[in-house]
Amino acid sequence: MLTEKELLARVGTLTVTRLRVWVQQGWIKPADLAAPSYSEADLARAALICNLEDELGFSEEDVPVLLNLIDQIHGLRAELRGLLAALDELPEDVRGVIRLRITETIERGRR
Amino acid sequence: MAEDLYSVLGVAKTASAADITKAYRKLAKKLHPDLNPGDKTAEERFKKIAAAYGIIGDEDKRKRYDAGEIDASGQETPQQRYYREYAGGEDGARYRSARGYEDIGEFSDLFGDLFGRGGAGRGGGARFSMRGQDAQYRLEVEFLDAVNGTKTRITLPDGETLDVTIPPGVSDGQVLRLKGKGMKGMGEGGPGDALVEIGVRPHPVFKREGNDIVVELPITLDEAVLGGKVEVPTISGRVSATVPQGANTGQILRLKGRGIKTRSGTGDQLVKLSVMMPEKIDDDLKSFAETWRQGHAYDPRRKLKEQA
Repeated sequence: MLTEKELLARVGTLTVTRLRVWVQQGWIKPADLAAPSYSEADLARAALICNLEDELGFSEEDVPVLLNLIDQIHGLRAELRGLLAALDELPEDVRGVIRLRITETIERGRR
Repeated sequence: MAEDLYSVLGVAKTASAADITKAYRKLAKKLHPDLNPGDKTAEERFKKIAAAYGIIGDEDKRKRYDAGEIDASGQETPQQRYYREYAGGEDGARYRSARGYEDIGEFSDLFGDLFGRGGAGRGGGARFSMRGQDAQYRLEVEFLDAVNGTKTRITLPDGETLDVTIPPGVSDGQVLRLKGKGMKGMGEGGPGDALVEIGVRPHPVFKREGNDIVVELPITLDEAVLGGKVEVPTISGRVSATVPQGANTGQILRLKGRGIKTRSGTGDQLVKLSVMMPEKIDDDLKSFAETWRQGHAYDPRRKLKEQA
């Protein structure tokens, strides 16, 4: 885990003010709010927000929209991975039935 | 020869700094790895445009690049660890959102069924369905219960009970299939069946041969000689049977319709006669036999001698 100082040192364009605003906004969620400690994921997330604002030119109002969508995508991807891992352990004939049902459902949705 | 950095960003050599930034941002928004978490090629393409922008997006470096002082590959941006590399892991879990599929009934039902969450009350959709497995049991029944049919109850290991109707004439080793009494299915898949293998205990008197019942019936010497009525046990109680005059050991009386009643037909009872001598041969019998054989000699072993 990283302290606030260590995190700031590793993300070039990040300032303590910006970081604290992000934590307050809930964009970054350190393990303990009283004595914040940050994980590598928090670091990468902070770098991403810097990237979005500084490099890509998104405004401060855009960032929560983007984070929300990104978080939803990762939520979906995690569920999907869990589902696929669970399906992987089933016998082949059962997987076949599921594959068929999914295809049928998608086809139904298209009509 | 490295690629021309201006063409990487799709701008003219004469483009203004603002145009270069604009072009870079347009491409970067499309290709940023964290905005394309599932696209592996996005990262490579993003690296290229980021490296290009790192040089021609910087006024000083752009001048040196234009002057040929640094080449396109001269600037290596430090390796960036993208958020997407963490988002899928344990550490990124608290940022993940379930709102991406809350409204999609089919999906949350699917996930709900598989992961034991929510999803109740939503109709239709691609539910996961699988028929339950068949459960196998073995049931020992008495000979007469198997022959005449009966109802019995099995207590299962989980404490539940299973009522089993034994059809008349069930045979040893026969398997009864009780529809829908097996393991529970998933989703719309119905339960499996219970398969009950029947074991029939042997009976000291009755033997089964197909639908016939075979009974060995001991008779006395005088019954054998004179014939007469005798009482015979059958699977449905005692009946009276007539032993013919001169009945012999091994002779079979057929009691029509006294066998096993099944859907495929009704068998008979076969009564195998067995002449029994009295336990004690008294003087009367002895003297009778001595007198009798004087004029009535017969040879029951004649055939035996001919054949062996």
